[in-house]
Order: sequence, then C-alpha cells, then structure tokens
Amino acid sequence: MEDLLNFKETLNQKGILISFNGSFSNSIIEEIGRAIRTYLQEEKLSGGIISDVFSVYIEQTQNIRNYIELNDMVNTTTGEAVVIIAKKDGYYTISSGNSIKKDDAKELADYLEKLNSLDKKELRIMYKEQLKKPAQPESRSAGLGLIEITRKASEKIQYQFQNQNESFDFFNLFVTVKGGE
Amino acid sequence: MIQIDSTPTSPKVYFDEKTHVFLIEGESYPENSFEFYKPVFNWFDEVFPNLDRMELHLKISYMNSSSVKCILDVMTILEEAFEAGKNVRIKWFYEPENSRSLEMAEDFKEDLDLPFEVLS
Repeated sequence: MEDLLNFKETLNQKGILISFNGSFSNSIIEEIGRAIRTYLQEEKLSGGIISDVFSVYIEQTQNIRNYIELNDMVNTTTGEAVVIIAKKDGYYTISSGNSIKKDDAKELADYLEKLNSLDKKELRIMYKEQLKKPAQPESRSAGLGLIEITRKASEKIQYQFQNQNESFDFFNLFVTVKGGE
Repeated sequence: MIQIDSTPTSPKVYFDEKTHVFLIEGESYPENSFEFYKPVFNWFDEVFPNLDRMELHLKISYMNSSSVKCILDVMTILEEAFEAGKNVRIKWFYEPENSRSLEMAEDFKEDLDLPFEVLS
C-alpha cells in the first residue's frame, strides 16, 4: 500500500499548494485557477501579486490547452499535462509539463532563449509590437502569452525538453513570481 | 442590439441604446477569446458606423493576453472613428486594489489618441 503520509510530507517539503496531472480540460484549468486565487486572497497578498501569479498560471495552462487542441492531441496520452503551484521562501513557482512535437521544440527553445535575453523594458516593447500585429484567430493565440509570462516573472524563466518518445518531447516550464513587492 | 451575460471567465457585454454606452464588465479569460469577442466585432462592423456618438465603458477585473488583444482592437476601431470626427470616448474603471488594471489602462492610453479616462 502507498504511504500517503510520506507522500503528503514530500508535498509539504516542496511547498506544493496544488498539483494536477492528467487530461487537461478547460474546466480543470478554470477550477484550479479559482482555487489559486482564493488561496492567494486568503494569504492577504497585494492585488498586483495575486494578479501576476494568476496571470502566469492562465497563460501557461491556456497555451498548453490550445496546443493540445490545435494538434488533435485531446484524449490521447500526449494530451495529458502536469501543472504544479508551489510556494517556497516567499516565492511562488508555477511549473508545467506537456508533450510537444519534436519539430516544434527547437523553435520554442530559440524563442524562450530570446525572451530570457531581454530586460523588462525590452520585453515591454516586444509586447507592444506583438499587440499591434494583426490577429490570427485560427491560432487562438495573440502570440503574447510567453512574453507576458516572462514580464511577470521575477527571475529568468527556466525550462527543459525531455525526450518522451520518438515523436514528442516533454516540455518543462518553471516560472517564479516574488510574493511581495 | 447586443447583450451577452457574464460567466466566471467571460464578461457581460451590453449596449444601451438610450445612453449610447457600450459596456464590457467582468472577467475576461475565455478559452477562445477571438470566438468570444466575434459578436462584439460584428456589432462594431454593423451597428457602430450608424451611431453619431458612443462611450465605451470597460470594467474588466482580469484579462488574459488574447482578450487584451481583442480589447485593443476594439479601442483601435474607436480611435479611427474619433479621428474621422465621431464623438467617442473610453472610460476605464478599475478597483483601487487592482494595480495591474491601472497599469494596463495607462499603457493603452499612452498608445491611443482619443478621449480616455481612467477612473477608480
């Protein structure tokens, strides 16, 4: 039998507030989002911090959901994702893991490297330029999500790509938001 | 005529034909913002050109990034109408504790050339 007390203590040690692993539906994303917000409100954080953590969470998870839907991965093993929200030493970390096609991984890695090389002022300029580009509703995205995430992060975003199988990599994204201004 | 009820993730949208106030109020992070705002853009294509005046009232507590794009596109339609001589203005309402909403309003205002009030 699994030792749940041990499992719980491991979660506590890592400061894990919420974790989810499985088929990533819109209703799951919304429910977890509401739970995070309620938790942060009870922690009496400033409105700005609550908004930043929530925003990083929403952009990360909606990006994943869009990718799963646009690549016909719903209800397949590669349509499953992990999201973990943790608090440690006054910092909130929003981590997510999802399958992406190997062909897309290289492009994404280059893009993330570029975002990480920019300072907040440059990110703001990039955000505004992207905002002015014509919308492409079929992609469901305004191409702003990862810029927004990088802008809200208090440190450089961390990521890695793990080999999942011959077609897919597993994309890990770790974003940290400081719990005080 | 446009009237959309709010949901936990999408705002109320309503045009008042008496006061000519177009209201968008609530949360805005629907799973597909472009789909959600489609009727709004249709309204701006079909009804808005026939109006002589209009006020856009935004009372949005949180927007995901694709909603930000949709709202900017709406405001840009208003800006073009203003430049063509139409009587239009924007009122952005924010909750005092929501500093990010104020920052976003100031950001938008900086890039738009039309009457734009930020109120709490």
